[in-house]
Amino acid sequence: MSLKLNNLGRRIDGRWILRHLDLEIQNGECLALVGASGCGKSTTLRIIAGLDQADEGSITIDGTDVTSTAAVDRKVGMVFQSYALFPHLSVAANLELGLKVRGVAPSERQQRVRQVLQLVQLEERASQKPAQLSGGQRQRVALARALLRDPLVYLLDEPMSNLDAQLREELRPELRRLVLRDQKPVIYVTHDQHEAMAIADRIAVLKDGQIEQVANPIELYKHPASLYVAEFIGRPQINVLPPEQGVIKAIRPEALKLQAGGIACELLHREWLGASQIWQLDSRLGPLRMHVGSEQTVPESIQVSWAPEQEHRFNARSGKRLTA
Amino acid sequence: MKTLPVRRLLIVLLLSWSLGPLLWQLYTSFSTNEALITPFANIDHRWTLNHYKDVLTGNPPFWRYLINSLIVGTGSTILTLCIATPAAYAITRSRGTITNVAQTMLIVAALFPYVLLFLALLEVARSLHLGNHLLALTIPYAALSQPLAILLLSAAFRDLPIDLEDAARLEGLGLWSRLRWVLIPLIAPATASTAILVFLFAWNEYPIALTWLSDSSLLTLPVAMARIAGSSIYSVPYGAYAAATVLGSIPLIALVLIFQKSIVSGLTSGAVKG
Repeated sequence: MSLKLNNLGRRIDGRWILRHLDLEIQNGECLALVGASGCGKSTTLRIIAGLDQADEGSITIDGTDVTSTAAVDRKVGMVFQSYALFPHLSVAANLELGLKVRGVAPSERQQRVRQVLQLVQLEERASQKPAQLSGGQRQRVALARALLRDPLVYLLDEPMSNLDAQLREELRPELRRLVLRDQKPVIYVTHDQHEAMAIADRIAVLKDGQIEQVANPIELYKHPASLYVAEFIGRPQINVLPPEQGVIKAIRPEALKLQAGGIACELLHREWLGASQIWQLDSRLGPLRMHVGSEQTVPESIQVSWAPEQEHRFNARSGKRLTA
Repeated sequence: MKTLPVRRLLIVLLLSWSLGPLLWQLYTSFSTNEALITPFANIDHRWTLNHYKDVLTGNPPFWRYLINSLIVGTGSTILTLCIATPAAYAITRSRGTITNVAQTMLIVAALFPYVLLFLALLEVARSLHLGNHLLALTIPYAALSQPLAILLLSAAFRDLPIDLEDAARLEGLGLWSRLRWVLIPLIAPATASTAILVFLFAWNEYPIALTWLSDSSLLTLPVAMARIAGSSIYSVPYGAYAAATVLGSIPLIALVLIFQKSIVSGLTSGAVKG
């Protein structure tokens, strides 16, 4: 039982904005869809939800082809970046509307709304309007509405991008716990690689409407399939060296080591992260970022090198990873 | 600080310019004929309610016209909104050449001087036997109000965040439920202002009402008032005319006061922004 996307594609004005998308997400699995803005990640969600139509390929939920099912009948729970709460209705009425339209009896409706409000810890806000809630509370109402839908699939479109950094960090585990409660496939769209690494079981990196790589966070970090993925995943960003004979080498900042006889560098700037620090270096290979422990002092002459197995090698033309 | 007195003066000037004629009508309606002819003379009987009495006890009594106009105005407004709301929704949600053409035509129609149509409309009314039916007037009124109503309402639909309708769709709300529970309540302020404009048009409309209605018990206000004003070629019954004007304005003022609240209340605030 799962959500399956087969060769999904969408074309706008003759241009493919999404092409050859194959993905399978298991029940109880959270897949993050990441990529720069305009890479097609929100479009993918909208096609799965039925809000946009696919021009190619198919969508299967639990073995049923839903490609041509109307959005109204598709049973997906979606959380929008804007929350999309109905501003004229109270929190309780926002949650109840869908149940009412779907023909749930009044007594059961009230009970279920009460339960879900308890779950997202907003019982005492039931009679308030969305405008009276904070961003985090609105987001939880939107999530509660998705939960009440009893969906077959959860789709979360940048659900936290309107919240401040601290709140995001607090809500992340709660969000994951709530959406994975009833063991359904979850797709989490974000442009923030850090958030994706923190919340998802697997991450799909999208570039220009095509999947670059799908893997779990560690795999993605350690074995990026392309230079794009290597640059997109991991902060501070990976060091990319100038191409040599059709090969681009890239080294993670924490793989750089101080070593006599290495590449001579000049320290441009030091950034303190608390437990560690980042050195911005300049060298004959261009600028380098080095991640070192906080107790590391700056030596008189900085010479850096790295172990050959820490080197990521990519084809300079295609950007694809070179094996061995 | 220096601009303040100037601004106050401007406001006073503007108010007296727009309210002056109304206040003059009000004054006239309560003044005896003698007081009107010789405004500065010292007369015992300056104030009177006789004009109102005359107007209200005429045959047919004046409130009859008020009711006629209310029926026509309300009917036209309801008919207009029933047609314009779905039309506006359709225009906002569909794309393509037909929609573009329709929108351009609406603007052209909105700018077209409708008075040029009234003779043709009269022929239509005659052949369809629509003369001397109050509710028949709502047909041309609603039709003439469509362009403006559709433009106003489609602007309101367009202003609604698309996410709201998408969210409703995912909640399982079909087209009718979405309109009923989400979209129409959210464009209520625009609907209220559209309704007022349509009602005002129907309330004030003269040429069509004049030609379609001849039975004196069916006349709408503007036609009835014109009859009062021109009832005799030797004298103009200023007092009675003023009283009729005042009575005819009261429902409009009440309407604006009632709807003002729903226009002002910003229903969409906090709809999507975090």
